[in-house]
Amino acid sequence: MRTKQEYLIRYKDGNLYCELADIWIDPSKPVKKALITHAHFDHFTFGCEEYISTKETAILLKERVGDNIKIKTFEYGEEFKINGINISFHPSGHILGSSQIRFIFAEEKWLISGDFKLQKDQTCKQYEIVKTDYLISECTFGLPIFKWDESNKIANDISKWITNSPEKTSLLFCYSLGKAQRLLNEISQTNFKGNIYSHGSIHKMNNSYRKLGIEIKDTIKIENKKKIDELKGSLILLPPSLSKGSYLKNFKNIQTAFASGWMSIRALRKRSGYDKGFAISDHADWDGILEVVKKSEAKNVFFHHGDSEALSKYLVEKESINVLLFGK
Amino acid sequence: MSLKKFSELFGDLDSINSTNNKIEVLKNYFLSNDPIDNSWAIYLLTGKSNKRFISGKYLKNLFSQIYKYPQWLIDTCYLKVGDSAEVITLLLKNKTNSRKKKLSNISLNELLSETIPALSKLNEGEKNLEIKNLWETLPEDNHLIFNKILTGSFRVGVSIGLITKSISKLINIEEEIISHRLMGDFKPSMDSYEFLINKKINLQELNSKPFPFLLANAIEDKIFKNSINDFQFEWKYDGIRMQLIKRSGNVSLWTRGQELVNESFPELVEKMSHIKEDFVLDGELLVWNFKEQIAFDFSLLQKRINRKSPTRSIQMKYPIIFIAYDILEINGRDIREIKLENRRIELEKCFSKWQNKTENNISDIFKICDLIFPKDWTDALTYKEKSRENNTEGLIIKKKSSIYSSGRKKGIWWKYKVDPMQLDAVLIYARGGSGRRAGLYTDYSFALWKDQELIKFASAYSGLTNIEIKELDKWIRKNTIEKFGPVRSLKPEMVFEISFEKIQISKRHKSGIAVRFPRITKWRKDKKINDADSLENAYELMNKIS
Repeated sequence: MRTKQEYLIRYKDGNLYCELADIWIDPSKPVKKALITHAHFDHFTFGCEEYISTKETAILLKERVGDNIKIKTFEYGEEFKINGINISFHPSGHILGSSQIRFIFAEEKWLISGDFKLQKDQTCKQYEIVKTDYLISECTFGLPIFKWDESNKIANDISKWITNSPEKTSLLFCYSLGKAQRLLNEISQTNFKGNIYSHGSIHKMNNSYRKLGIEIKDTIKIENKKKIDELKGSLILLPPSLSKGSYLKNFKNIQTAFASGWMSIRALRKRSGYDKGFAISDHADWDGILEVVKKSEAKNVFFHHGDSEALSKYLVEKESINVLLFGK
Repeated sequence: MSLKKFSELFGDLDSINSTNNKIEVLKNYFLSNDPIDNSWAIYLLTGKSNKRFISGKYLKNLFSQIYKYPQWLIDTCYLKVGDSAEVITLLLKNKTNSRKKKLSNISLNELLSETIPALSKLNEGEKNLEIKNLWETLPEDNHLIFNKILTGSFRVGVSIGLITKSISKLINIEEEIISHRLMGDFKPSMDSYEFLINKKINLQELNSKPFPFLLANAIEDKIFKNSINDFQFEWKYDGIRMQLIKRSGNVSLWTRGQELVNESFPELVEKMSHIKEDFVLDGELLVWNFKEQIAFDFSLLQKRINRKSPTRSIQMKYPIIFIAYDILEINGRDIREIKLENRRIELEKCFSKWQNKTENNISDIFKICDLIFPKDWTDALTYKEKSRENNTEGLIIKKKSSIYSSGRKKGIWWKYKVDPMQLDAVLIYARGGSGRRAGLYTDYSFALWKDQELIKFASAYSGLTNIEIKELDKWIRKNTIEKFGPVRSLKPEMVFEISFEKIQISKRHKSGIAVRFPRITKWRKDKKINDADSLENAYELMNKIS
C-alpha cells in the first residue's frame, strides 16, 4: 500500500490537489490552475490564473462573476492531457454543466464525483456511471434517513401548499442556480397555474439556462414595490440569503418554505424558522451514494463534504469496500 | 374516516405557525370527521394519552432485527433526528420498494381502540410480526403517526387552549365552558365528543370535573403604582397546585396537570370526606414540617406523588398538608364570580367551622394560607427577600377585586419570585439534544473548583439563544477531549453564569450539593476558568440562606 503522499490525488490545505499535474479541484483559494466541477460559489474562488471546466459551467460562471476570468472549456467525455495525465469531464446530474472529473495515469483511474445526484432532472444531463479504481465522492447526505421522494411528488406538494392558501403570498426559498430552475421545471408540470415571480438573482440564472438551450418557465422578475393584492395566491422564488432580515417586510400575509434535502428531518425543519420544508435535493441520498460506489467498481473510496463516519463503517462492514481517509 | 386525514392534520399543525390558522385547520378537521375519530384526535393532541405501548429502544431494535440493519447505524441516525419514532419512519422509507401487500385504510378509531390494544395482548414474537405487518400495510404517510402512538411520544405544537378555542368557535360557546368540559378524565368515545360539542350547557354534567385553574403572571412594574391595599399577598409555595373537591360526598384531588391523585394521598381524602359541606378548594399540596410550620423541600414531595397507596410509615415520614388559597364552590354554589376578598371571607368561615370539630380534627393535614400584610411596596420587597427562610419561592399578589377566571389571565394575579442564586461555572461536558435540538450539542454540564480540580455540580440546557447554541456547538466539536457515546468531555475553557432557585446538601452528587432549576443566564466570555467559582462559594451560599 502506498502512503498518502503517493496518491495521485490528495488533500492539501483543505483542497483536492493533483501534484503530478499541479492542478487543484474546486480550490477555495487562488492557485495557478483550477478544475471547476460546477458553478456554485462554494466550489469557485476568484484570482486563479486559469480555470478549466465544461462549456456550460464556464458560461454560468461568467454570467455570475463577469468575463474577467481566463477559462478553458471541454465537452463532456472529451479527454485532455496535462503532464501526461488524461483528464475528462462526465455529467454528475447536480446542476447544468456539473461534472465528475476522471484522471487516468499509468493505467490507474481516479474519479472525483463532484456534487452529484441520480434523480431525474430535466434541466441538466443525467449522472453518468464512470468506472474507476479510486473514487473520491461527496457524502453530504450520507445517512440512511435520507431517501428522496420523486421530484414530481414534491412539486405537487408545493402546488398544493400554494393553492391551499389562496389569500397568501407563498415564498419559496431555494438556491438561485440549479435548484430554482429544477423547481420551476417541475412546478410548471403541476396543477398550479398562478403567477410565478423570481428574485433578480434567480431570474438571471433562468435566462442563462435558456441561452444554453434549457426550457425554463417564464417568471416575472420581482420588483420591490409590487401591490400586495397582485401577489395573493402566487409563488415567489427567493434565495435563502433573503429569508432573514428586512427583505420580508416588503410582503404582507405570507407563508414561507425552504426547499432542501435537510428539510426531511423535523427538528431541522422546526429550527429553520420556515413555515414549511420541502425535502428536495440536488445531492444524492444514501441509496444514491451506495449505488455510485458500487457501480463505479472502485476498490478504494474516499469521502469528503459531509459526515462520512457512518457511511464508511457501513461500506467496510457490509460491502467490504476499502474506505480510505485523507490526511488533511 | 381514514388515518390519513389525521396524518394530514398532524402535518398541517406542524407546519403552521399562526394560532388563528391552527384553529381554522382544527375546526375544519372536526367538521369533516366522525365524532369518534374527533374524540381520539383530541385525546392525542391534548396529550391526555401518554401511554407508551413499546419503548423507542424496542422500536429501534425491532427495525434492526427485521431489516438486518446494524444497531450502531440506527443510533447514529437517531443523533441527527432526535426522535425514535421519526428515525424509524425515515428508515422505513428505504424499505417500501419491496412492499407488495395491499395497503389498509384503517381509521384512527380502529387503530387506537382495536389494533394497538390488541398488540399488547400478544406475546413478543407475535407482537413483532404484527408491527412488521402494520408497517408494510399502512400507507407511508401514516408511519410517523403510527410510530409516535406506539412509543407514546405524541407531541405537536397544539396546546389544550388551542383545542378549547377551536371547539368554542365550532359551536359558538364560551371557551370557559369548553375548557371545563375538557378538564379531568377524557375517555375517547362518541359520547365524550358529543358532550364536548353539546350546545346546551348543563352544569350538572360538569360535576366530576375540576374547574380550569387560574394562573399567575410574572410581576409587572405597573403594579407598583397601585395602592398596596388593593392586593392580597400570599407566600408562593413550591409544591403541587391542586383542586380539592368534595361534591355529593365524594372527595377528589386533581393536579393542575389534570391527574386524579386520590390514591397517592389517601389520608387527605379520608379526612376531608368527613366534612359536612361540599366544596371546591384551590390550593397547594406540600410535605410539611409541622414543628417549624414551614414546607419541606420539593424533593420530599416527589417521594409521595408517584407512590400509590403509601404505607402508614411513608405517610408518617413524609407528612402532607393541603394549604387552601381559595374557595370556588360551596355546597354546589359556584362562587367564582364573586370578588376574591369575599371568597376569602367564605374560606375563613369554612375553615373556622371545620377546625373546631373535635371528632374530626383536620389541622394536622389542612390549613388555609396565611396572608401577608406589607405596609407598602418596599415592605413587600422585604417579605419577598425573606421567602427563602421559610422555603417559599416568593410572593403571590392577587387583586382583591378579581373574580376567578381561567388560564394565565393578565392583570389580576402575579408571582413575585425571589431573585435566583448564581455561580460562575466551567463547561466540562456536552450531550446531544433531542427533539427540536437534535443534531446539536445542547445539554451541558458545569463544574466548580475544588482545590485544583473541577467538580461537576449542575447540568443545564436552557438559557442560551439559538445563535449562541450554534456558536457553542461549533466550539464543542472543535474542543472535544473524548467521546463517550452521545457525551463529549470538553477542554475546560468556557465560563457560564448559572442561576438556580435552591441549593442543598446531597449525598448523591460528587460535589455534595444539589441545585434546583439550574439554567444558563450568561455566557461569561469575559471570564477565564480561574475566575469561576469554587465549591466553597457554593457552600457559603447555602449557609447564607439556612
